[in-house]
Amino acid sequence: MQVDLAHLRQGFADVGYICDQSTVLTVYLALKLEKPLLIEGAPGVGKTEMGKALAKVLKTELIRLQCYEGLDETRALYEWNYQRQLLRIQIDRHRQEKQLEEEDLFSLSYLLERPLLKAIRSPEKKVLLIDEVDKCDPEFEAFLFEVLSDFQISIPELGTLHAENIPVVVLTSNNERELSDGLKRRCLYLYFNFPDVARESQIIRSRVPEVGEHFADEIARVIAHIRSQEELRKKPSIAETLDWARALVALGKKRIDGALVNDTLNLLLKNRQDQLLFHRQIGKKGIEELLQQPANLGEDCKCY
Amino acid sequence: MLLTAPPERFFEENMAAFAALLRAEGLVLGTAELLDALQALHHVDITDRAAFKTALRATLVKNQRDLEIFDQSFERYFIPQAAQAQQLREVTRQREQQANKLKEAADELSFKGEPLPLSTEEMLLYTSLPDEQRRNLRRFVQETEAAEKERRPLRPLLETVVKGQLRYWHSRKEQVAKGDGPGGAGGSSMAAGDTDKRLRESDIRKLRQADLPAAKALIDRLSRQLVRKLVYRRQRGASRGALDFRRTVRANMRFGGEPFLLKYKRKRRSKLPLLFIGDLSASMKRYSSFVLQFIYGLQAAVSNLEIFSFADTLEYLTPALKDQAGLEQILERVVLQGESWGGGTNIGVALKELSESYGELLTPRTIVIIASDTRTVQLDRALPALQRLKERVRQVIWLNPLPSEQWPRYRSVQAFAELVEMWPCNTIAQLEEAVAGRLFATTVFLDQEAGKR
Repeated sequence: MQVDLAHLRQGFADVGYICDQSTVLTVYLALKLEKPLLIEGAPGVGKTEMGKALAKVLKTELIRLQCYEGLDETRALYEWNYQRQLLRIQIDRHRQEKQLEEEDLFSLSYLLERPLLKAIRSPEKKVLLIDEVDKCDPEFEAFLFEVLSDFQISIPELGTLHAENIPVVVLTSNNERELSDGLKRRCLYLYFNFPDVARESQIIRSRVPEVGEHFADEIARVIAHIRSQEELRKKPSIAETLDWARALVALGKKRIDGALVNDTLNLLLKNRQDQLLFHRQIGKKGIEELLQQPANLGEDCKCY
Repeated sequence: MLLTAPPERFFEENMAAFAALLRAEGLVLGTAELLDALQALHHVDITDRAAFKTALRATLVKNQRDLEIFDQSFERYFIPQAAQAQQLREVTRQREQQANKLKEAADELSFKGEPLPLSTEEMLLYTSLPDEQRRNLRRFVQETEAAEKERRPLRPLLETVVKGQLRYWHSRKEQVAKGDGPGGAGGSSMAAGDTDKRLRESDIRKLRQADLPAAKALIDRLSRQLVRKLVYRRQRGASRGALDFRRTVRANMRFGGEPFLLKYKRKRRSKLPLLFIGDLSASMKRYSSFVLQFIYGLQAAVSNLEIFSFADTLEYLTPALKDQAGLEQILERVVLQGESWGGGTNIGVALKELSESYGELLTPRTIVIIASDTRTVQLDRALPALQRLKERVRQVIWLNPLPSEQWPRYRSVQAFAELVEMWPCNTIAQLEEAVAGRLFATTVFLDQEAGKR
């Protein structure tokens, strides 16, 4: 796959994924070195979105493997289609001409491909998104490490299947537990922080163009202020910012005020404790005060 | 070392030295990462400092906490040429300044035209003293010189006094440095991970007021993590299990008995009824509210969570918790009302009332958790009440905030510990271990038993 830095940068801009230079460069290096890209960061900073955007930029299919505790090889790699094998035996039982061989039953047509195998066997280069890898068990992580090292899979009945095209692998982690050194060693690393006000405003304008520049800035400032509350159980994600922006547009609003934030708080803070914390620490008055201050949109985004 | 490397290997040597520097700063990185970095540099314009840095960071750093170390090390190691010249000028200037200072000190502290035998450090210290101190010391030397003229050999004495004075000022300086150094500002500059570790391991009752929000957030995080684990464990358990022949045969009757659909045994997994009684007397208030917050966070993983508080009397908090917003508000309200808070603790009365008024909550499956330091009035009445409670429920667990080495000192601790299981639990780490490691190990035990029946 021929990629160059300028096209990649333009590609991300075209699909509406706003990110800084160093992020684009890291993705570029991952593509060039054919290494998996591990992205860490708080929930809702755009890690998964990066995988999706990359698939769009490279104009290829996205294969997604969502990790969870208890995820095993039959869900991630392959499974034999037991029912189909049984049917075949049934059909063949009454045929006289040819004896059914064991190899007939364990051929590729009876193999149910799960995301990892699908990505490896695909004739084109695909983007494989392994989402929330920190949620899977350490045993599965070790297995993943093996697959990502050699890009080959051994199936006892079939032998070893090699990757025809090494897929572009993006792994995301919410940092809930430390990943093993082995897995990390295989990957290039990227850390996402929440975007600063200027970048978030840019994201809002790119995704919800109906909001004007000034309104987008106001929204981004309010969000940044809410996120600055360290005690929040869950800080509003970028997706929630966008939902909020859309909701405000739908309500026909052009400016933000304290009462409006209060009335639409459910879109940003989705548990009672966080809402109470907001009322206690910021409240209507805090928002009004914030908006009266001159805008300080901050320096360039500090994404790693 | 760098300058002696052959020119064609200069770049690689330099990179290896940088990797060694990062390792010395605590980063885990091997040759594989270094090779990746060198390979990555083939694809970027290495005269672009930002791109060069990004390429190294993406390949050499593998977690968030190391990013800052990397950034600092990079800035220190790869210094732009202009800055390098500036630094060189600065070093030369400092050296010259120091030489001047030494000369000044030698001139001023000389005895009969001969400098006193002071070390470089002592001389520099002398030049850094406030003017007044320097004047005093100089005057002392001059006066001694005058006295010597009266033929008394004073030089050894003078040396001792001057050195002693300088030592004194040195120790004063160090004390001042310590006073406004790490002790004061350490908290804010400490990395989040370190704060967590410190909070986990410090005695809950001795946490500073300023630490409380962070400690609460930590407890909240831990309990949510635990719930997630327990719920996952349950989901996973549901899908695995031995083949259920009876259900498989029944489900496949429609296929003429061919086993197309395989049915597996589901493990019976029952949630655990928990009843928590927290001692909310003055000395236990903070401790119990922490434990309570942790246990309250486990609601999703237990079937029934009943919460009581006691000091002199028992109070049933569950209904208030169901009606209202959150635990914090309830605790605030209860504190304000002061119904049972801050009174003399009477465990006996509280347990008796629990058995009499809330008997329906005490089932043979219930696990009762008591958080208390065991200090109570009327210990003799409390013991039989605890015995009766123990007979009605599956298990009584006592979380004791006193460190276990203090236990032998208290008669009440020994008396209660003879009756029920008592776990030391005075830090957040111990609380986590008690609930995640020991209490829910019991749940798994219960589940397996249920499966066998």
